[in-house]
Amino acid sequence: MAKLILKFEQNILKEVGLANETFTIGRLPDNMLQIDNLAVSGHHAKIYWDGDHYAVEDLGSLNGTYVNNQRVGKAALKSGDIMTIGKHLVQFKDEVQTAASPKPAEKPGPVTPKLDATVVLDTKKAQDIIAANAAASAGSGPLGLSKPAPSPTPAKERFGILNVLEGRTDQKQYVLTGKMAMIGKSDMATIRLKGFFAPKTAALISKHDNKYFITASDKKSKIKVNGEDFAGQKELKEGDIVEVAGVKAAFSFQE
Amino acid sequence: MPLAVEVAAKTDVGCVRANNEDNFGYDLRYGIFVVCDGMGGQAAGEVASKLGVDTLLSYFRRAAQTGEYQQAGAPMDGLSKEGTALASAIRLANHTIFETGRQQTASAGMGSTLVAALIKGNALSIANVGDSRIYLIRQGVIQQLTQDHSLVMEQVRRGYLTREQAEHSEMQNIILKALGSEESVDPDVEDLVVLAGDTLLMCSDGLTKYIHDNEILQMVSAGETLSQRCSALIQTAKHRGGDDNITCLLLRMVERPWYKNIFHAMFSGDPKWQNSF
Repeated sequence: MAKLILKFEQNILKEVGLANETFTIGRLPDNMLQIDNLAVSGHHAKIYWDGDHYAVEDLGSLNGTYVNNQRVGKAALKSGDIMTIGKHLVQFKDEVQTAASPKPAEKPGPVTPKLDATVVLDTKKAQDIIAANAAASAGSGPLGLSKPAPSPTPAKERFGILNVLEGRTDQKQYVLTGKMAMIGKSDMATIRLKGFFAPKTAALISKHDNKYFITASDKKSKIKVNGEDFAGQKELKEGDIVEVAGVKAAFSFQE
Repeated sequence: MPLAVEVAAKTDVGCVRANNEDNFGYDLRYGIFVVCDGMGGQAAGEVASKLGVDTLLSYFRRAAQTGEYQQAGAPMDGLSKEGTALASAIRLANHTIFETGRQQTASAGMGSTLVAALIKGNALSIANVGDSRIYLIRQGVIQQLTQDHSLVMEQVRRGYLTREQAEHSEMQNIILKALGSEESVDPDVEDLVVLAGDTLLMCSDGLTKYIHDNEILQMVSAGETLSQRCSALIQTAKHRGGDDNITCLLLRMVERPWYKNIFHAMFSGDPKWQNSF
């Protein structure tokens, strides 16, 4: 018969047999296995016979139910599995399963969902782990990083600058810090054109992998880079001269 | 010429999980698009992602009625009105999920990732919490617009891990931010620009853990309709394992003269919105 062994810090507190179809674990006395500890929810988890195997299901407990250190909503149990309920450990033992059916794992039972569900680290825990990682970057980190990444110096971010040479704009110089900067009269434009006939949108400068590219905002818009027309999108290089919608500007990189 | 948005979206439970905790929704009338990936035992993940989508859609529907965006939390510096609204809507969604989780023991510990896009003409505002992603495909180049709030990507950014190591890490499932996990949330919000011909992909990690950026680029550029491209992406992810729920929302920016726009609105029969399910 299957049984549960309740342990707390190496000590075996109790052994109970799983006689019923459903077996409940919780802090309150109406549970079949009562664990009187505040880390345990009133009705924490239940263990039940699920067709051809035992399974554990968390009953919405505050601190969760873990099987072999994986938090689970519901999971199939095999002999020897250790559940963590609050600060207590509950080991599941099923003699029949281990003795009579030698390879229970290969039984074509219902697929147990892979319990690698997404988990959220709270802000503090995350900071601790990342800080610990930084401290241990030389040796083996707590998260199994055997060595620091080979490229520890990420490319230094550099910003493009547009100096307006001719034409009416709201500023004479623009530092392109964002991912995208629109040239046009529209409110959303970073490089704001002035004048009644200025187009709402003329061109877009976008930043991607530390490079800058210019694109016409629509088919009507004509852009020249160093006096030449182009189709699609063109990378901007140091010293390029951009002409669009009556504005002439020089592109350069900030040091 | 005014820009119009074409949209197709699909979600799939995948090959391993029993339930779909992803959700999505959009409303073309207000240009709001949302994808959420829920987490938490029992049905809590589904509840959280649904709440995330519903809160965002109803925020912008309500704003259209009242004519103003409700402000929640401190406004962020240097953001447009739309970007600020998106941040407010996300804070409200966080509050709703957090409170629901606290009141109902069955849904304690639930949370959800969220990516959202708000499009008004050429103006695009995007927001991200968690490890779902938004990609921009423009002129044959793909660019990830969002930064994952995941432990491994944070380590990549700090130079402790390479991208290859991150892709093989066992800790890919640990995320650093989620809606509903803490009392307040600090979403990434950015104001960007879309142009005619651009394609945006919003997806849950069930897609990106199986398909590389350059494969996404190929698959999004091939195929007849947007909806076929969505299906192709999802089928590929399932074919390669599909151990998570997969959601994919594709947007394409098209130039459409105003008279065709009216025609389209009256006769195309395409849905103008899609609520969470």
